[in-house]
Amino acid sequence: MSSDWETLQNRSFLESNARARAIGLADPGTFTELAGPRCRLSSPHLPLLGEAVEFDDGIVTGVGRHGSRPLFIASQEGRFVGGSVGEVHGAKLVNIVRMAHQAYDRMLAETPELPEERRPAVVISFETGGVRLHEANAGLLAHAELMDQFQDCKGKVPVIGIIGGRVGCFGGMGFVAAATDAIIMSPFGRLGLTGPEVIEEEMGKDEFDASDRALVYRVTGGKHKYIMGDCNLLVEDTIAAFRQGLGKVLAMSYAEIDRLRRIGSLDKVKAQLRTLAALVEIAPRDSRDVWTFAGNPAAETLVDMKLDDFLRTVKRLENAS
Amino acid sequence: MAKKLRELTFELKAESPSALPTDFLHYGVVGSGDMEVIMEHQELAGAVRIIVRTPVAGFDEVWRRVLERFVNQTGMADARIEINDNNATPVVVTLRLHQALAEIAEGGARHV
Repeated sequence: MSSDWETLQNRSFLESNARARAIGLADPGTFTELAGPRCRLSSPHLPLLGEAVEFDDGIVTGVGRHGSRPLFIASQEGRFVGGSVGEVHGAKLVNIVRMAHQAYDRMLAETPELPEERRPAVVISFETGGVRLHEANAGLLAHAELMDQFQDCKGKVPVIGIIGGRVGCFGGMGFVAAATDAIIMSPFGRLGLTGPEVIEEEMGKDEFDASDRALVYRVTGGKHKYIMGDCNLLVEDTIAAFRQGLGKVLAMSYAEIDRLRRIGSLDKVKAQLRTLAALVEIAPRDSRDVWTFAGNPAAETLVDMKLDDFLRTVKRLENAS
Repeated sequence: MAKKLRELTFELKAESPSALPTDFLHYGVVGSGDMEVIMEHQELAGAVRIIVRTPVAGFDEVWRRVLERFVNQTGMADARIEINDNNATPVVVTLRLHQALAEIAEGGARHV
């Protein structure tokens, strides 16, 4: 299992670890990890609870390049406590965004005419169930701080979210992901607020059967999120495909990237309320009813359709970007 | 009070020692039933110091045997090894340690 850049590119994003994703999303040989395993910044809370620790606290942060842009990268590791946000994990995530923002201010102060394609950008690979319950106060605070950082980046640094890991992106981090400028997913990516298992536990199997994988993907999966307009780009499950998707977004001007936002303006809220009102009319029993409503008469066929064909034929909801 | 994470320290010496072929390497992910390892050069008069952080109690002797075998098989010397374990079986531990060394040979896995 070499982590050579070339061999990483064709590897499944889903099956790669957080570090391989971070290295592969940047240009070849440009990724430098910051606060990596050598710094041994593991959780101070987990040992007291008898829980295993990790030297990077479940997140890889660093800097690299993407074309002419400096790229600030964070990549969560879903296999370590479900990619959950603890104190150290959260601090690393918050500070990589803060660094991007500070770099932007410094660069623009030095070179006010700095062309857009040379300005910094942030990319976050979300693979998380949200707050780490063992250190929940610190984790929640990190969520708030991260949203604050996104707000500070507004008008300056584009923040791109990537969701293609096994865990998906749920809990508080589902809100955080929604606050990014653009979201790129693969059909295996999953995005939501309350995760399927939690819904089942709280509301019962009749409400939501978390063991029904097809149902889980119809409600939280990349294809559904693309139709709903909650995700901007849908790509194949390889590191190269995510990298290309990222390149597509980063080639845009800030104004164009800003228009990819799914939420965050009065017009977007109004459009969503209109869609919601129309959906209440049809009273959907399943995601497929919504897909049909969006203009896909053969909704059932979308599930197993190859991504190329899907992207060519699918109709998205009207308020979708 | 809940049990705390345990820290075991071993000082081992290979029968026919040779130096660690890198000054630093990191390998692995602390998933369930898995572990990560840092190996780095440290002058220890030919010995290897191994620190294991594990939630599991009662397997100290098994750890010693697995690590002794690894040190003797590889002839590792003058190295500090740190392992973060999350209920990995002895087989997985042995596999990960050897994979970590294989990564050095391929020139990967030297994360800062």
